[in-house]
Amino acid sequence: MRPPSVTDGEPANPRDRPEDVPLGMGFRTRLTLALIFAAVLPMTVFGLLVLAIGVVGGEGPAADANLARILLFGLAIAVLLAVFVSYLLAADLTRPLRAIAAAVDRVSAGDLSTPIRVGGDDELARLAESHNRLAADLERRNRELGRILAAIEGASPRDGVDFLAGKAGLDAQTAFGLLDAEVILVDPAEIPTDEAVPGEARPLRAELRVGHDALGVLLGRLPATRTWERADQDLFELFASEIAVAIRNAQLFGQVEAQNAQLLELDAAKDDFLRGVSHNLQTPLTSIRAYAEQLDIDRPDKRLDIIGEQSERLSRMVRQLLTVTRLESGALHPRSDVVALATRVRKAWEALGVADVPFTLEDRAVGWLAVADADQLDQVLWAMLDNAVKHGGRTAVSVQIEPDESSSRLRMTVADQGTGVATADRPRLFGRFVRGAERSPDDGSGLGLYVSRELCRAMGGELFLDPPAPGGGASFSIHLPAESPEEG
Amino acid sequence: MLSSGGVGGYGVQAPRILIVDDDPNLLVLLADQLRADGFETATARDGVDALRRLQASWPDLLIIDMMMPRMDGLSLAREIKSRADLPIIVLSAIDAGDSKADLLEEVAEDYVTKPYHYPELRARINRVLRRLGDKVPRQSLVLGPDLTLDLHRREASVSGTPVALTPTESRLLYALAANLGQTVTTETLLARGWAETEDADPSYVWVTMRRLRQKVEREPNRPLHLQTVRGVGYRLVPATGGHEAPTAATNAATERD
Repeated sequence: MRPPSVTDGEPANPRDRPEDVPLGMGFRTRLTLALIFAAVLPMTVFGLLVLAIGVVGGEGPAADANLARILLFGLAIAVLLAVFVSYLLAADLTRPLRAIAAAVDRVSAGDLSTPIRVGGDDELARLAESHNRLAADLERRNRELGRILAAIEGASPRDGVDFLAGKAGLDAQTAFGLLDAEVILVDPAEIPTDEAVPGEARPLRAELRVGHDALGVLLGRLPATRTWERADQDLFELFASEIAVAIRNAQLFGQVEAQNAQLLELDAAKDDFLRGVSHNLQTPLTSIRAYAEQLDIDRPDKRLDIIGEQSERLSRMVRQLLTVTRLESGALHPRSDVVALATRVRKAWEALGVADVPFTLEDRAVGWLAVADADQLDQVLWAMLDNAVKHGGRTAVSVQIEPDESSSRLRMTVADQGTGVATADRPRLFGRFVRGAERSPDDGSGLGLYVSRELCRAMGGELFLDPPAPGGGASFSIHLPAESPEEG
Repeated sequence: MLSSGGVGGYGVQAPRILIVDDDPNLLVLLADQLRADGFETATARDGVDALRRLQASWPDLLIIDMMMPRMDGLSLAREIKSRADLPIIVLSAIDAGDSKADLLEEVAEDYVTKPYHYPELRARINRVLRRLGDKVPRQSLVLGPDLTLDLHRREASVSGTPVALTPTESRLLYALAANLGQTVTTETLLARGWAETEDADPSYVWVTMRRLRQKVEREPNRPLHLQTVRGVGYRLVPATGGHEAPTAATNAATERD
C-alpha cells in the first residue's frame, strides 16, 4: 500500500551526506504514516463493517435494505474519520512549516536576530537550521558591510595615499575578521596568487581597480576555521574597489596640491623678482629726482627740472611694466577711494613738465568725485596726457570732464590737435607693445594705452578711442564710477 | 609703550625720526630734508643697525625701507612692534598692487612708495605723529546685532557677512568709534582721512560716508549707526534697544581711557 514515490522518489539534497539522514521519526516517515492512515483507515473501517454485517445480518429483502443503509452509514463514518485524521496529520505537518514561513518573513523584513527554535531532527528541523544559518550569515555580512562603509566614509583624500592604504588594510582585517590584511600598491600581476591549503589560513585577494587601471591589490588571510563564500568574496572585492577609488582620489589630490604649491612658489618667486627689480631701479631714481629737486631749490636751473622730470618718467615706466605683470597674473586689486578727478588731472599735467604745451581743463562736474584707486588712476592720467603730448606733436591738449547723472559716472575726454590715429592703427591700438606706424621709436614703452585700459576696467570703468573728429586730432575718453556731492 | 610725552613734546621738542635704508644717498638726502623741516634725525644702514640704535634711545617714529640686506623691512617692523609700539612708515618701491602691500599695512602705520614725493611723505609723517595713542584696538566693536567693526583687519561684519573696508573708510570709522555716540566734525574727519591730499574738501567726507552707509547699513537711506548731524558732521551710534548697545559703549569708553 505504501506509494513508492514517497519512499524512493524524493531527490536527496546534494549537500547532505548519508550519515546526516536522521534515524528517528523523520518528516518522511510521518508523511508516509499520514498517507497510510488517510488511505487505509477508512478502507479498514469499511471492510470491518462489511465483515460484521456478513456475520450478523440475515437474509431477505429487509436484510438487504438494512445492509445498504449500514454500508452507506459505514461509508460516511469512514469518510469522516479519514477527513478528521487527515486534518490532524496535516495540522501536525504544517505547523513547523508555518513557523518557518513566519521566520522567513521576519528575515525579509530585516529582523535577523530571532532564530527558529529547532526541535527534532527531521527535514523540517534541518530546513529551520538552514534558515537560521542564512539569517546569521546575512547578519554577519550586514555587519561587515557596515564596517566597510564606515571605513570608506572616513577616508579623505587629504590623508594621503600611504595613510589610506595602511588604514584600508586594518579596516579589512577588522571588518572581515581576518588574521591580517594589507594593501600593496603595485601592479597586481607582480603579486602571485597563493594557493589555498586545507587546514591552513586561507589566502584572500582582491584587486584595486579604477576603470582599467590597476592600482594595487588587497591581500588577507582568513582563519582556517571560517568558511568563505561567494558573497564574502563579493563584499571583499567591493571593499577593494571602493578603496581603489579613495586612493585614486588621494593621488589626484596630492598631484593638485603639489602643483598648487609649485605655482604659489613660482608666483612668490616672480613677485620677489619684480619687487627686487622695482627696488633696484626705483631707489637710484629716488635719489636722482630728490637731489635734482633740492639743487633746483638752492639754485634754479632748467636742466635740473629736466633731470627731475625724466627720472620721474623712467620710474613711471618701471611701474607700468610691473603693473602689466600684475594685471596679467590677476594680482592687482585696486581700491575704491574717492578722488577729485580735475585735481588729479592738473597734478598729472604738472608732473609731465611740459609747460610749453598749451593745456585747457574744463571741469563740468564740479564737486563730483570719482571712485577709484588714486595710485592707479594717476598712472592712467599720466599715460593719457603723455600720449596726447607726444602723439599730438606738442599741439594743444584739452581735457573735458563731465558727469553722467543717470549712470553715476564721470566721463573724461583727452584730445590733442595732432594728426589723429591712422585708420590702420585704430583696431590694434590697445594691444601690448603697440606703437603707431608713423611714430618714432623713442615714444615710450608701448604699454601706456594697454595698461591704462586694463586699469580702468579693473576700477569698474572703461577707456575708449573716440571716433575721428572733423577737426583732426586724437581723442580718448575714460569712464569711471563716480558720486555726486550732495550731502546725505 | 611710548609715553604720551612723545606727543606732548611735539612742538616743544622736535620729533626724533630714525631712518633705516641701505642706500646711503637716500639716507643723507632724506635726513637733510627732514632736518630742514625741524625734525631731529638719526640713520641706520640696516635692520641690525637699527635695532642696536633702539637699545640706546627710542625715536618718535621710524621710516624703514622695505628691501635691505641682513633683515628686510617687514621683519624689522615686526621685530620693533614686538618690543614697543613705535609708529612706523615703510618707504618702499612696492605699490598698492603688490601682494605684500597688505602685510605692510598690518605691521606699519603707513607706507610711502619710492620714488617719494617729499611733501607727501612729510604730510604722512605729521599725520602718523598726530595719530599717536590713537591706535586701532585689536578687538571687535559690536555696535548691534547687525554691525560689528573689526577695524584692525579693515573689515566690518554686516548681518554676519564680512565687508572689506578701504584704509580711508577704516580711519574714518575709527575716528567715529573713538567718540562713540558723539558728533565728529566733518573737518576732523577730513583731516583724519585725507591728511596728505592737498585741496581735499568736505565732499570727500560726504561721499565716503555715503559709500560707507551702503556698505555697513542695512537700510542706507535710514541709517541706524552712521548718522548725519546736519551742518556739523557725523556720529556713530550703537543700535538702541539691543543688549549689545551698553557693552559696546562701555568697550569704547575703556578703549579711550
